[in-house]
Amino acid sequence: MTRTLDAHCEAILEEYRQHLPQFESVKNEVLDLLRSTLDGAGIIVASVEARVKAEGSLAGKLELKGSKYSSLADITDILGLRVITFYIDDVDKVASAVERLFEVDWDESVDKRKIHEIDSFGYMSLHYICRKKGFPYRFEIQMRTVLQHAWANLNHDTGYKSGVEVPREYLRNMSRLAGMLEMADEQFSRIRTELNDYRRRVQALVASGNLDEVLLDGDSFRNYLSLNPFAKLNKRIAAVNQAEIQEVSLMGYLPVFKGLGCKTLGDIAKLIKDNSEAAYQIACYQIGLTDLDIVSSSIGPQHLCTAFILRNGGGRGGLKYMLDILNGPSEMNEEMAAFLVEQTKDLPFMHASE
Amino acid sequence: MEVKINQVEKVITAQFIGRLDTPASLEVSRQVQPLIDHADLTVVLDCSQMEYISSSGLRIFLTIRKAASARGGRVIIRNMNEDIRKVFMMTGFLNLFEVEKA
Repeated sequence: MTRTLDAHCEAILEEYRQHLPQFESVKNEVLDLLRSTLDGAGIIVASVEARVKAEGSLAGKLELKGSKYSSLADITDILGLRVITFYIDDVDKVASAVERLFEVDWDESVDKRKIHEIDSFGYMSLHYICRKKGFPYRFEIQMRTVLQHAWANLNHDTGYKSGVEVPREYLRNMSRLAGMLEMADEQFSRIRTELNDYRRRVQALVASGNLDEVLLDGDSFRNYLSLNPFAKLNKRIAAVNQAEIQEVSLMGYLPVFKGLGCKTLGDIAKLIKDNSEAAYQIACYQIGLTDLDIVSSSIGPQHLCTAFILRNGGGRGGLKYMLDILNGPSEMNEEMAAFLVEQTKDLPFMHASE
Repeated sequence: MEVKINQVEKVITAQFIGRLDTPASLEVSRQVQPLIDHADLTVVLDCSQMEYISSSGLRIFLTIRKAASARGGRVIIRNMNEDIRKVFMMTGFLNLFEVEKA
């Protein structure tokens, strides 16, 4: 496209060309700084992106409103960055990080989340105009959620740049959608807050030992594992052969304990208490006469579940059920279940009265 | 103990022949180095001709598994005989691996 720019605009464009490598370099510096800062603060975002305005785009801007700018320094979006967050609360956290990293030009920055009237909905984003030490030009950082970003992109693509007058119905529908997405953003944040509250409550209950009050689920089981509930049994088993204990994830036992009827962490604690002696007997029988001097930390729960199943009449079928969950369904599990039944049939716990 | 290593595209297979006992394990841990180096691939540990595995052998398998976990690879133990499978179960390591019969 051929553009006609006056001498003033051509001078700004020339200044841009001369400083383009500097803009590219600062872009990478700011991008790295933002990413590492957010990462360090534990703020997980959908993306951090950056671009230096293309020459054609700047020329178009100058053609339209070049007289507004006295020099390139007046144009604040030559370098633009965008941080897209998952949660609406995180937009303010990102903003706070940006405020610590750069000098924010508050006169030029705008919080578009606050410009809407109580009965209007639309573009929601936080725009900061920033300065970085040693760089004479300002740059823009936009911060918004993925939903706000989706709305802004769709609105931009389908309306703003189409060059035709936008029908009222379209504007009304986009406005309705903006309102809906605003509510969705709030709901996502509320769900996250409630989930975090739940996790804190579970942690407190587990730490205080009120295990009967804690329902068994992924979060509560993970918390429970952090207390090393199988460590005592594992150490006792390892001592049989002075074995090394190799720590492995025990999360795979969650469906096993659920399958055995455990509904709370208290049920697992009871299962451990009631079956530890039997589990130890299995371990002694299996490895006591071998020279195996390494066991995994799953040995305790494995023998506990085995003992629980056998003592409750689950037999071979019950053991195969456990092995199918742990190892994935396979005919080998049938053979292993038969092996376990054979090995344990004469152990004292199998003949002890309750 | 003999270890034969063969790579076909994204699958690297080690065939263990004989007894993986403590005396053999030092040499075997050197021989399986290509599996550690290629732990981002699918690593198949073919045990169809393995007669025995000791704790030292288990440690070698665990080292390979750890390398694969760290690099996004996958470890499959194929054709363990029943005795070896029992060793894996008695030590609590069976469910750490994908186990296949041919």
